[in-house]
Amino acid sequence: MTEIRKLDLAWLGLVALSVIGATLGGRPDTGFGVTVLVALVMGLKVRIVCDRFLELPTARRGIRLAMHGFCYGMPVLVILTSAFGDTLARLTGALI
Amino acid sequence: MRFRSSLQVPPVSYAATLPDASTATGRIPGNKAMWVGIFCEVTEFALMFAVYFIARAHHPEVFRAGPERLSLLAGTGYTLMLLTSGWCVARALHAMRAGRQKACLRWLLGAFVFGLGYPVIKLFEVRWNLANGLDGDAGVFIVTYYYLTFNHLIHVFWGLLGMIWVMLRTGTGSYSADEHSGLEAFACYWHATDIIWLMIFPLFYVLR
Repeated sequence: MTEIRKLDLAWLGLVALSVIGATLGGRPDTGFGVTVLVALVMGLKVRIVCDRFLELPTARRGIRLAMHGFCYGMPVLVILTSAFGDTLARLTGALI
Repeated sequence: MRFRSSLQVPPVSYAATLPDASTATGRIPGNKAMWVGIFCEVTEFALMFAVYFIARAHHPEVFRAGPERLSLLAGTGYTLMLLTSGWCVARALHAMRAGRQKACLRWLLGAFVFGLGYPVIKLFEVRWNLANGLDGDAGVFIVTYYYLTFNHLIHVFWGLLGMIWVMLRTGTGSYSADEHSGLEAFACYWHATDIIWLMIFPLFYVLR
């Protein structure tokens, strides 16, 4: 498979994942499982953009690590805030 | 045995299929200055995301009900416009690497048209929001939403201006298959802006 074909497939995959994400947003139920699913879709989309569009696999280690830290940190924070929101509110009580 | 080993093709990593991936330590896509800018952008949004998470932790019910107040259609529209624009930019870069300047310019024009879709949708969405009472006094969720999305809009504007610049440079033959670091630097910025939107979208339009 050529690099161009991989790029086109990546775009199609991103469009499909966006539609899935929008479908999740239209659901009335708000369970923890849906939050995890939303975070996973977010992480997957960001990973595809990093690897295929931004070409991070070829980048220097420092750039790769910093971008991966940001990109994977966000879905993790989404899940943690959903699971331990009370604790975060208690810890940051003085800020609000 | 010797014959068999001579037929074996050495494994080629994905990184090695891309240009300038000759060293194990990797390369700097585009240029250093652009990556300084990208990390400034990432830091800025990381701080704003921290504000989002803290506000969400303190007002979970408000944030759970928030996405219902916004237009999911507009949110999905932004995402599709930016993703398609990013794809066009990636195709433009590949065309330039192949020495096809005219094709590169066509892909960049496509990227610009889709990128322009973002502020156009924003215009309609803001009008719709205001008509539905979603202004600066509409609560912590809406204020956080405006703060983050307008900031992102500014970055998209910078990107669109950058895109006009690289289109002019491509049109005047300033880039070649061997030297197009300016185009690549712009592509990095545009994809980074895209990545940030991919985080904003679920936080405000999907997550309940």
